[in-house]
Amino acid sequence: MDIVVCVKRVPLTEEVDLVIDEQRKGIKKDQLAFVLNDWDNYAIEEAILLKEKHDGTVTAITVGNEDDEEVLRRCLAMGADRAIRIDVDDMGRFDSYGISKILSRVVKDLPFDLVFTGVLADDDYSGMVGMMMAEQLKINHANAVIAIEIEDGKARTTSELEGGLSEVSLIELPALLTIQTGINEPRYVSILGIRKAAKKELKVMDLSDLGISDEELSSRTIIEEVYLPPETEGAQILTGDADKIASDFLEILTKKGVME
Amino acid sequence: MHYGVHPALEHYLGIPGYLITSCILIVGLAIFSYIIYKRYLLLRSARPDLRFDSLLRRFSDLIIYGILQKRQPRYLWIGILHIMIFWGFVVLSLRTITLYGIGLKPGFYLPFMGGSLGEFYHVFKDIFEIIVLFTCIAAVLRRAIARPARYEFKHDKAHKFGAYLVLGLIGFLMLTDITIDASAIVLGGESAYWLPAAHSASYLLHGLGEDTLRVLYRWNYWLHILTIMFFLNYLPLGKHFHIMTAVPNVFLRKLKKGSIKPPRWDVEDIEELDSLGVEKIEDFTWKHVLDFYTCTECGRCSDNCPANTVGRPLSPMEVTIKIRDDAYKRRPLFALKGKGDPGDQSPSLIGNVLEPDEVWSCTTCGACEEECPVFIEYIDKMIDLRRHMVESAMIPKDFQDALMRFEKTGNPFGKPPSKRGDWLEELNDVSVKILQEGDEADVLYFVDSYASFDPQIQQMAMAIVRGLDRARVSFGILGPRESDSAHQVRRLGEEGLFQLLVEANIEAFKTCSFKQIVTTDPHAFNTLKNDYPGDLVVKHYTEFFLPLIESGLLKPVKPLDTADIYTYHDPCYLGRHNGIYDAPRKLLASIPGIRIVEMQRSRDRSFCCGGGDINLWYDIEGEEMRMGEKRVAMAQEAGATAIVSACPFCLLNFDDAIKTSGLEGKMRVIDLMELFVSTL
Repeated sequence: MDIVVCVKRVPLTEEVDLVIDEQRKGIKKDQLAFVLNDWDNYAIEEAILLKEKHDGTVTAITVGNEDDEEVLRRCLAMGADRAIRIDVDDMGRFDSYGISKILSRVVKDLPFDLVFTGVLADDDYSGMVGMMMAEQLKINHANAVIAIEIEDGKARTTSELEGGLSEVSLIELPALLTIQTGINEPRYVSILGIRKAAKKELKVMDLSDLGISDEELSSRTIIEEVYLPPETEGAQILTGDADKIASDFLEILTKKGVME
Repeated sequence: MHYGVHPALEHYLGIPGYLITSCILIVGLAIFSYIIYKRYLLLRSARPDLRFDSLLRRFSDLIIYGILQKRQPRYLWIGILHIMIFWGFVVLSLRTITLYGIGLKPGFYLPFMGGSLGEFYHVFKDIFEIIVLFTCIAAVLRRAIARPARYEFKHDKAHKFGAYLVLGLIGFLMLTDITIDASAIVLGGESAYWLPAAHSASYLLHGLGEDTLRVLYRWNYWLHILTIMFFLNYLPLGKHFHIMTAVPNVFLRKLKKGSIKPPRWDVEDIEELDSLGVEKIEDFTWKHVLDFYTCTECGRCSDNCPANTVGRPLSPMEVTIKIRDDAYKRRPLFALKGKGDPGDQSPSLIGNVLEPDEVWSCTTCGACEEECPVFIEYIDKMIDLRRHMVESAMIPKDFQDALMRFEKTGNPFGKPPSKRGDWLEELNDVSVKILQEGDEADVLYFVDSYASFDPQIQQMAMAIVRGLDRARVSFGILGPRESDSAHQVRRLGEEGLFQLLVEANIEAFKTCSFKQIVTTDPHAFNTLKNDYPGDLVVKHYTEFFLPLIESGLLKPVKPLDTADIYTYHDPCYLGRHNGIYDAPRKLLASIPGIRIVEMQRSRDRSFCCGGGDINLWYDIEGEEMRMGEKRVAMAQEAGATAIVSACPFCLLNFDDAIKTSGLEGKMRVIDLMELFVSTL
């Protein structure tokens, strides 16, 4: 069972007051800390769990610059066998379509039974790369997968649907699955583990080696402007001691009909 | 005094006595050597340790804690009883050699013991025999009737038997030796009132015939030396091994309190190691294995362990005993070939001998180590077990998240490093310099994460900079260039991350020049002082400010505006780990008109607040109450209405505990510096 997992390094944005950049097309990232996208963390863990069960290899891939290798090292430390980075300096150039083009071009030449991506990435929240890749690779796919079982040449997957429903599908391999958080409990990788994983194979590929034209990679989406949500009215700040706040709050809830 | 009885020359079933004595000695000592050799094998298979530095200090500790047993009377009466038995053993060892001697050669005596010195010794040993005998009786009665809770075991009842057996054996040895002397006195027909034990016993033997007395003498003699040999061989099998290992264990004790041992003493770069920490018993250092041998099962550690007190699944004593029992079981003394062979077969301790929550329950407060009469170490072992759990991904999600935030942002909150100095914005009355590259100051104030980011703890930092400013100290902070001190990280077992954060801080320290570091937090103080490389001059704020008050630079003048009765709580990492008990008390006492009471558990018996280390992020199942609640109740018992602390975590834990105990309005917690600054 050979599994390719596409991963992304994203900024840690909880607790941070985001600042819009000068072009108003994105956010300032120079002060931010970066991590492996949470969904991808589950995806790589799932791939390693399957490998531990059915043998095979796990390859982690990312598109980005040298700094982005950090997430590949983490994948290697978790148990991936090798990693590939497609060297791209300015990720802002590409939208989901461009990224999916690059990734599927690389994945096409690799031996694989399964391709995993996270359901979405914590930065732009588009959630499109996985499905586009399946389309370009012309393979089956399932979304928001929360359970996988392999049964001779097929994968029995459970997808999360709206309203707490689950959908079970039997999919012919090779296939692409977008992995939902909660499918497993990703293991902790220690700093020592990451430092040791530096010795594992990490291949860097140039975009020019892939033979994709600039035209093919050009953006299909246009960002007009990025802005912080405007302050709206209707918010009310309750003041006073805890007792007063609680009784005021209760009164509002009763008035608005939330409670009787 | 033999009166015609010469065990060495008599014949038993035609075998001369000296031959029997020789056989007892040879066989007994051979078995004993074999057992010790087996114990040595496990010790040898363990990891290296450095324990032969500071020899002068080690020898003085050996006398104070080993020979004089300074820690025994921390439990007063039983401590005194133990000292009696110990000294009895020391005194009676000469008698034991002499008795074996006369079994080989009639009239044997040790060098210099032939004349009046020997007679003096005889009196001395007679007095000790009666002391030891009564001590044994008292100890047996205490165990059987008073049943101190600290001797109870959760996992195994068989251990109690050993204590009775050994006390019985010791008592029996005293009785037989007294009988030897007593029968000799009656045989000699003279009074020996200077031997109180033997003399008193001799009254019971009056009227017995000479032959009967000789039989008494003879058989008590043989029973005595046989019992001694049995005793000797029984010792290394259980807790009484401490009779041999305790004194070496004290000599080899850990000298640098507060620090955590490196993952391996013999390897500097952790990247060279295949694995970190302790998975199986052979991964402990040989000294830690010696600790397992030495445990006397006295239960003082667990009796003082805050985790144990509040019902967490941790009893330090049982940790030791479980590991020891398992090790002895897996390395049987006598086994058929190929069976019970040690080596790689030892299973992981976690899951087989210990449970994960046992290891996570420890707050590293050090109460157990402070109490142990034989200096058994617990914290380093706990951290080594955690190191293995971290490296093999056996670590609760809560810790994973916290560690990831430490790694990514240098603080446990996940706040951006650029905001680390933002607390200064709220400070209007004092201007604080953020040290840039090349800047100079006398004092580098190391704020650390909680005082930088937690709104409640920021008040502590503000009080400290106000104090520094008032005393006209030239100081600065590192602001965004400061990373977490990593005290927690190291004690969670994430050594690689610890090293990363230490490196970041050391790099930042190097860019500016300062004479000393002052910290908000006892934990930061401890790790900078004891864990960081190099010789940083580090002071906790309490230690730093005291001389400023004593020299009159700072004068508390304003009286307090409350009628509170204050009690000072010793933070573990200020008190027990670094011995700072008086500076904070003097600082508190300098406040005019303050009323102070002491809690019953104070100074080195202080009771942990619940811990800063890892305990803020993880709830342990089975806990009956929070440690903080227990401590707040103790403060109330002492008659206090305000707890004064000098540690961010104590403050947070007590603040929480006061609310959950419903004591709001009756009890409050305040940081020492905040209180002090309000009186300037």
